[in-house]
Amino acid sequence: MRMAATMFGICLASATAFAQAVQSDHVSAELIGEHLALVPGQSTQVGLLLRHEAHWHTYWTNPGDSGLPTTIAWNLPPGFKAQDIEWPLPKRFDVGGLYNFGYDDELVLPVAIDVPADVKPGAKAHLAATAKWLVCREECIPGNASLVLDLPIVAGPAKPDPRWIKQFANARLMQPQATAWKGETEVKDDRIVITLRGAGIPPAQGLDAFAAQRKVFDNKAPQIERIGDALIVSSGKSEYFGTSPATLDLLLTAPAAAGQRGWRVRIPFADAAAPAP
Amino acid sequence: MKPRLLMLAAALTFAAPVFAKPVIGQPAPDFSVTDSAGKTQTLSAYKGKIVVLEWNNPECPFVRKHYGAGNMQKQQGGAAAEEVVWLTINSGAEGKQGHLDAAAANAYVAQVGGKEAAYLIDADGKTGHAYDAKTTPHMYVIDKDGTLRYMGGIDSIPSTDKEDIAKATQYVDQALAELTAGKPVSVSTSEPYGCSVKYGS
Repeated sequence: MRMAATMFGICLASATAFAQAVQSDHVSAELIGEHLALVPGQSTQVGLLLRHEAHWHTYWTNPGDSGLPTTIAWNLPPGFKAQDIEWPLPKRFDVGGLYNFGYDDELVLPVAIDVPADVKPGAKAHLAATAKWLVCREECIPGNASLVLDLPIVAGPAKPDPRWIKQFANARLMQPQATAWKGETEVKDDRIVITLRGAGIPPAQGLDAFAAQRKVFDNKAPQIERIGDALIVSSGKSEYFGTSPATLDLLLTAPAAAGQRGWRVRIPFADAAAPAP
Repeated sequence: MKPRLLMLAAALTFAAPVFAKPVIGQPAPDFSVTDSAGKTQTLSAYKGKIVVLEWNNPECPFVRKHYGAGNMQKQQGGAAAEEVVWLTINSGAEGKQGHLDAAAANAYVAQVGGKEAAYLIDADGKTGHAYDAKTTPHMYVIDKDGTLRYMGGIDSIPSTDKEDIAKATQYVDQALAELTAGKPVSVSTSEPYGCSVKYGS
């Protein structure tokens, strides 16, 4: 299997990008490339394009009270390397009083692919991946697709694929912006209170907050308020909170009216919290 | 003597918070739910026995994973052999996916070869909410004194793939083995995984 993949991984072929969408239950999946070709020694952006039927959603890396994060298992030519999914900002879904974090409508999960320096221009790279997801409305259906993206290798700069310019531009808008804010956490009984300070802290109105790590927040919408120059995020503590994570990746999302955007802040976790009994 | 009494009073106050959620090491909430045979099931009736609670929705892919592979029935059978009372609970509201009436529940148990002691129909979600049951499956193990000893997932690998079962730590099996051997439960919580429980409003 692996051998076959290696043999067919790079071959001489016509110099066009090729991929195909796979229609599954309530969602279609396709591998897309930002550029029409790959360049030796450079990194390129590809993405798993998921198009959800109305009212159906798939999941973020922390799915919330139920669900499963989408996974991508790559099978790449020798020397190629896929980085982790660059998770876009999640949305909050209320499922009968329980909360799920994920995505609806059209979504790109971007992944950087590192192309080795020694591949020869003129060849073609066969990027293969198996994507797995759980798609839910209120009921849930697991899905998967074997996807391929064939891209030619060129010496010079690769042109953007005109079909996907909008998708990759949106994907960039959906990325949390890194910030230099300072954060402090405090565990008070069954709540986790985070105080954020720094340049460009937004007003509290309409903000939502998410922890990328599981078993930290209780998944209900946190209380967020602005006190002077500080933004205070107070979330219920997960009943499954055990040992504190070393750092907490906190995401803040702004109201959709402002265009979906948000921020990421890494916060050292105050280890005042005793492990759960 | 006096400080000790004060401490005890403080501990008791702490043990009964206003918004009661199930807590490991604390008494598990009692309940009264009619099962698929029309019998009223309460937790207090099983004092002196270990009790397992399993939240179920027959149409949820995570539940199907464990029933399809025979994992859940195997654990139910193993529990019964050790005099452990296994209660399967369906908190799906009427009209929601996976809700069963008594006849449908009996047919389901027969079809999958379920070996639970009873199948409880909690369509108003009262018991589900009392336990803060979030997913199907969501598992709880209660000791002979009625103290909650485990809550969380059925096992350690959140997925819908049957192939993962053999690789996963089966937390309920593990907790039952430890409890029946008189040992403390080594993993007392894990994050539950599955479909959301389909509560009514």
